[in-house]
Amino acid sequence: MPPRDEHTMSWQERIKYWTITLAVLAVGLLALTGTPLIHERWLPDLLGVVLLATAAELLLIRYPLRPEYSDRGIWLSISTPIVIAVVLVYGWQFGVWLDALTSFVAGVVTAYLRNVRLQWVAVNTAHSVLSASAVGLVAAPFNVSQVGVLSAATLSALVLGLLIYMLVNTVLVSATVALAEGVRLRWVLAQTALSLPRDILLMTPISFLAMASLNAYGAIGLLGVLAPYLALRQAFILALRQQELYHQTIRSLGFLVQRAHPYTGGHLQRVSMWARRVAERLGLPPDRCELVYEAALLHDLGKTVLDERILNKPARLTAEEWEEIKKHPQLGAEILRDTPFLAPIIPWIAMHHERPDGGGYPFGLRGEQIPVEARVIAVVDAFDAMIGGEAPNQRRPHRRPLSLDEALSELARGAGTQFDAQVVRVFTEVVQEWRKQRELKVGT
Amino acid sequence: MQGAWWALGITVASLAALAYYAFVVLPARIHRWRCDGLRAFARLIELRTQGRYGKAEPMAELASAVAQRLGVPLHERRRMELAVYLRDIGMVAIPYHLLNKPTPLTPAERDLMGRHAEIGASITEQIPGLWQVAPIVRLHHVVYSEQPDAPLAAHLLSALEDWIRIAESADADTAASVLKQGAGARYHPVVVQAILSEVQQRALDGVKSLTRSAALWL
Repeated sequence: MPPRDEHTMSWQERIKYWTITLAVLAVGLLALTGTPLIHERWLPDLLGVVLLATAAELLLIRYPLRPEYSDRGIWLSISTPIVIAVVLVYGWQFGVWLDALTSFVAGVVTAYLRNVRLQWVAVNTAHSVLSASAVGLVAAPFNVSQVGVLSAATLSALVLGLLIYMLVNTVLVSATVALAEGVRLRWVLAQTALSLPRDILLMTPISFLAMASLNAYGAIGLLGVLAPYLALRQAFILALRQQELYHQTIRSLGFLVQRAHPYTGGHLQRVSMWARRVAERLGLPPDRCELVYEAALLHDLGKTVLDERILNKPARLTAEEWEEIKKHPQLGAEILRDTPFLAPIIPWIAMHHERPDGGGYPFGLRGEQIPVEARVIAVVDAFDAMIGGEAPNQRRPHRRPLSLDEALSELARGAGTQFDAQVVRVFTEVVQEWRKQRELKVGT
Repeated sequence: MQGAWWALGITVASLAALAYYAFVVLPARIHRWRCDGLRAFARLIELRTQGRYGKAEPMAELASAVAQRLGVPLHERRRMELAVYLRDIGMVAIPYHLLNKPTPLTPAERDLMGRHAEIGASITEQIPGLWQVAPIVRLHHVVYSEQPDAPLAAHLLSALEDWIRIAESADADTAASVLKQGAGARYHPVVVQAILSEVQQRALDGVKSLTRSAALWL
């Protein structure tokens, strides 16, 4: 990455302009669609549907892309099936207004409850308006009252509408996340697009039922959709829980590593963060980078099995004690052996003490035989140990903590033999950049 | 309008499928994921104690079968299975030399060892989704005469763990007689009854399948 140009915008500015753009577009669209509604007989219907949809939106969970994004106030709407049904029954203008009002009211309440900034309510509402309008482009010529509810044309319009809504919404939300988090759009899209087919499949029957009951009974008919909505909610909550469990397992195991071997000042967190950054810079796919983070957090898991008298010994270790210590990569792999969802990181944990010249343990692998992820963890771990972040017993009188520059030149000295040369090069860049940013922060 | 009742049929069928997925399939999958994750904790203890503690899979399966015999509902059975995986996690905090001491433990050392249940429970309480499992972990060595009102799952694990240990070191008959002697004192009598009939049932099934395969061979 080239050094940061001082004239490029900061993320706060970028997100500000993005919000303004979205808001202007949304207000324009609302103005365009709003006037016919006021004169129509739809007004009571609109209010009834908005009330119910808002209740649904609040009663049901907000469906976050990932938990950390929902904390920032970015979410995917779950009232989508109702919006699509409304577009097909009452026309797209109605759908746009419904979505806008629902997102806005539910957003304000959520913002109040969760202490989220109102700016995000505007962004989310704009997402909704733009997505619903995109559906309008396709569904404008379509009229349920002419073709009938139970027809193939209606069904395909419904699925198409859901598809377009979800696609546009996902792209918009991902763009906002990318801007707010300062990450690549491609990365966010890769993470969010995965669940699209499943979501559309789950939403189709709900949307159909909503449409049929709206057509037959008006706004009151939506009450009949409540039960399937609850099932959908359950499915979403459990799907989220599954993700949560994954992270929980890793966090809890990490907690055990930490207490078995009390590292000073967040050694594990630092190593994980740097390992992920190096992996990103090496061009590994996003989900791999995430796994590298987790593997780095757990790389010393095997030490929880070892005798703590050896681990905490303040003096030089005997040969036998070293042999014991050298078992820890394989022990870590052994612990995770029967946990299928952690299978990808097992080899990296087993090989994080291998050396490209073949002098490492436990297998004595060489160069390319060692997975790149393991090479990354080896470099980052060694670096953090050198600057004094390791366990107290490894900070011996004859090994005072090195400065950043000393540690980097130590890595450079071992490049190609003890450490992977390319990883060392990339990691050096990462550290230099980190240092520059830190100096900037201290400067301001 | 009348031509496309199939659309309504598909809708109803998909809603039924959705409900089945949301309330049956997903919870089962979540439970399996949980067990997969917690298996790592059990393996950790197994490795740390060189195979003497922490073995979980067969025990979880047997415990669940016994609980089913007792009419324990599914969600509580699942909770108990999680407790089986986590029960010895407190051993991470017990000194290594004590866990692997070749000679018998002194009373003081045994006292220290006994604290693994309490430590395990406090570790379990810190894992957000597992606080309900903590009471079972805390009491998984419960003595019936001392705390008869402990959770049934705890009584079950306490008796079952002893049964497995004795059955492995001696044989199933010895284990059964120990449990019978302790019923009402050390062990919950109802639990002992259920364990013994489950084990007996399995022995019978084992003999049956053995004769069946023998018949096939002949």
